[in-house]
Amino acid sequence: MMNEFETRLKVLGGLIVFIVMLLVARAGYLQVYRGDEYVRRSDGNRTRLVPTVASRGTFFDRNGQSIVENRPSFTVSLLPLTAPIQPEVITRLAELLNVPRVEIEAKVAAHTGYEPIRVKNDVGPELLTVIEEQSELYPGVIIEVQAVRDYLYKAQGAHILGYVSEISEAELEARKEEGYRTGDIIGQFGLERIYDQELRGTNGGELVEVDVTGKPVQILGQKEPISGHDLHLTIDWRLQAATEKAVDDQLALIGAKAAAAVVMNPQTGEVLALVSRPAFDPNLFVHGISEKNWQAINENPYDPLDNKATTGEYPPGSTFKIVTGTAALSEEVVTPTEQILDTGVYWLGEKGNAGGEVLGWLDFTSALAHSDNYYFYEMGYRLGVDRLEKYARMFGLGEKTGINLPYESEGLVPSRAYKEKYLDDDWYDSETLDAAIGQGFNLVTPLQAAMVMGEIAANGQRFQPYLVSKIVDADGKIIKEYKPKLLSTLDVPDEVIRLVQQGLRDVTKEGTAAGVFGAYFPVDIAGKTGTAENTQGADHGWFVAYGPFSDPSIVVSVIVENGGFGSQSAVPIGKRILEAAFGLDGSAPIVNANLKPRP
Amino acid sequence: MNKRWLRRLDFTLIFAAAAIILMSLVIIGSATHINTAAGGNFVQRQGVFAILNVALVVFLMNFDYKMLQRYGMKLYGVNLVLLLAVMLFGHSALGAQRWIQIGPITLQPSEFSKIIMIISMAALLEDKIGKLNTLQDLLPIAAFIGVPFLLVLKQPDLGTSLVFVAIFLGMVFAAGVNLRLLGMLFGAGILVSPVLWHFLKDYQKMRILVFLDPNVDPLGSGYHIIQSEIAIGSGQLFGKGLFEGTQSQLDFLPENHTDFIFAVVGEELGFIGAAFLLLLYLILLWRGIRIAQEASDAFGMLLAVGITSMLAFHVLVNIGMTMGIMPVTGIPLPLMSYGVSSLTTNIMAIALLLNIYMKKQRLIF
Repeated sequence: MMNEFETRLKVLGGLIVFIVMLLVARAGYLQVYRGDEYVRRSDGNRTRLVPTVASRGTFFDRNGQSIVENRPSFTVSLLPLTAPIQPEVITRLAELLNVPRVEIEAKVAAHTGYEPIRVKNDVGPELLTVIEEQSELYPGVIIEVQAVRDYLYKAQGAHILGYVSEISEAELEARKEEGYRTGDIIGQFGLERIYDQELRGTNGGELVEVDVTGKPVQILGQKEPISGHDLHLTIDWRLQAATEKAVDDQLALIGAKAAAAVVMNPQTGEVLALVSRPAFDPNLFVHGISEKNWQAINENPYDPLDNKATTGEYPPGSTFKIVTGTAALSEEVVTPTEQILDTGVYWLGEKGNAGGEVLGWLDFTSALAHSDNYYFYEMGYRLGVDRLEKYARMFGLGEKTGINLPYESEGLVPSRAYKEKYLDDDWYDSETLDAAIGQGFNLVTPLQAAMVMGEIAANGQRFQPYLVSKIVDADGKIIKEYKPKLLSTLDVPDEVIRLVQQGLRDVTKEGTAAGVFGAYFPVDIAGKTGTAENTQGADHGWFVAYGPFSDPSIVVSVIVENGGFGSQSAVPIGKRILEAAFGLDGSAPIVNANLKPRP
Repeated sequence: MNKRWLRRLDFTLIFAAAAIILMSLVIIGSATHINTAAGGNFVQRQGVFAILNVALVVFLMNFDYKMLQRYGMKLYGVNLVLLLAVMLFGHSALGAQRWIQIGPITLQPSEFSKIIMIISMAALLEDKIGKLNTLQDLLPIAAFIGVPFLLVLKQPDLGTSLVFVAIFLGMVFAAGVNLRLLGMLFGAGILVSPVLWHFLKDYQKMRILVFLDPNVDPLGSGYHIIQSEIAIGSGQLFGKGLFEGTQSQLDFLPENHTDFIFAVVGEELGFIGAAFLLLLYLILLWRGIRIAQEASDAFGMLLAVGITSMLAFHVLVNIGMTMGIMPVTGIPLPLMSYGVSSLTTNIMAIALLLNIYMKKQRLIF
């Protein structure tokens, strides 16, 4: 028995000697026998990895219109391979390209390794011809071609599309495992960021053996790049343009600086247009943004890089009365016909309508149409904060909608729990009154405001908002298709929704938005205005609307920061968006309009 | 600590291990550009842990390895819990989920699990020596190691899971398994390997394809092999000198302080340096076998064989990989590669060998 072990252990010992000898033999073969060959490949020459960057996927709107493309960009660079760059070449180049001499000299001095020194991006064809024709005057100067992002419509839709830039070291460290490498272009914002993996494709390249001067000797391996996938958006580019124009014109008119607008199809969740102001031009980032441009963006107090439609959190103001009203009817704390007398000042908190307006006897629909604070204070008082919270959450407030854009905010739903947790204080009844009319501990994003209105439009159905309808590969094959996704349905009686709808229709007929819409607007529109008090400055103006009333194809949400009364700041924008969508501005209709016969 | 205690140490083994660790600190320094401003603090970290581990070894010397036999099954349970914890809470890097974070230290439980498996396998096999003649004898043992094998394979860590196979083969071989039976099991393994192929991740399949032909993916994992071979080959007989390896210093070589550290040795110290390092490993492994032969009991013998099989497999697969005769599996070179978990595991393995040696039967005192 022991003998058997001895033999087996000897066999294992022999195996180990064999393994080590095998490795020594292999090392000897590589280092001594074939050493010279490997020295040649490692020395002076080296194998160089020449990447072929995959073409990044492009963007199309819902009608197949191209929005973002790639264009070739020519960069003039210096490549000091054999000898240092001569001073006269730098002088000539500085003059030709109109780049300060010192700037080029600084770059040359700081340079190490084998990468070309980029002198100027996006050089025009005339200058390239000069360099090519007189190449003997420009030794060491090379022209590189890169594909760069081209946002065809500049700042239009910037907050949807986002922008790209070269990957930073911190990002590289964090996302190395996803296959990112130094020098890669990465989506930084908007859809460019969310869909970066789909858009970027797979880089190819050549493993080339080069000689001392950098000339290729042989190709050791090759891999074709795979183009990224294209995104087809739910956005209607014409409506997007009209929405941006409506916002810009109104901001110029009233002298406000910041705004946001969201246009959606309430029956599917497709986002048709999404605007945030101020905006920025994503083209500024493609070669790395200049100091001056960055400063302009960074120092703008209204933060152009903030997508206010999904990130901005504002008190919903009177648009929240949709939630309060739905809750009051569903919980049967009021009947549709009960008349409540607005006496001007509510007994608790001693507050009333802005401007001290007193509206007298009101039933549910007229209170909603005229946005009477007194009536909704009473509703808030009868409901209490807990029931208010329950319905706000039912509408999807206080949580992200899950739209495919980065940095979405959750908003804030009024609740005892929040106040206890963050302020360590009890809830007061007067705060319930504030919450009931969309003030106090109550915040929504413009997208959430559109969602609330959309749920009323779609008879209680809440669809997830989305921006991408399909992802298509370079051969036109559909990789992924997005369908409407029903998130939930309001758990309230049908009559309640119908009553709320009627009240909202009266807003544009006789209520707070009637002045702007006039007597003969050709499409039946339901709307709600809001004026959100703001501790930092003038009130924010809100308007949410949907139409056509009988079969809604579009829901709009608009906020104008520091715009004052919603009816004066936001409603005109909303009206113009609706006119563009229904083709009332002379252009072709974008969505189903159900035009009513002219009287 | 008295003199008798010292006399019973295996100084040859200690010398070989210490020489490898010292060489490792120098090479890690070179691979991480310690001579430049951009260099990292890898050497300090590895050095500090090496010293802390030596203290641990001295402490462990006061125990008798034989008591481990009683804990064999409990350790096995702990091992499974740890591996499951990685699966549930582990954080992933480079596409694999192998690490758990405890404070500032990231642990790789699959490293420690190798030692644990050796101990529990030895405890299990100890009374089965010479009784491994039928399939009924062998299958429970295969299943015993099969569970952690699959857990590690799932992480996915193909390299470490294959270490389990090497440990299993080495230990049952030493336990006197019927060779015909082992042959049959091996044959069955080859037959099911196409099924296992399906369980491999794409990048693992790619690595094996690349091993068969590096030109399949010259820019991905094939790139590592090509660059590593160029580094080693261009070292020639005497090497380019420390800090002078162009492949290593210019970062043509990826992971050159961890998995591909042997390529730095080959490039900078040449064939002489590479052969010297291999000689140190030969001494280390040879002492492992000698300690197995001289162990005072079957448990100690099995432990020593398990440890030696583990170390030998690591040396073969890692160094073979850098020279293009083994697929890229990402297992570290014992005592050489940068990595706290791996270093600790291997020093503990050496400590176990020393402990077995101390308790060996002595005919003459």
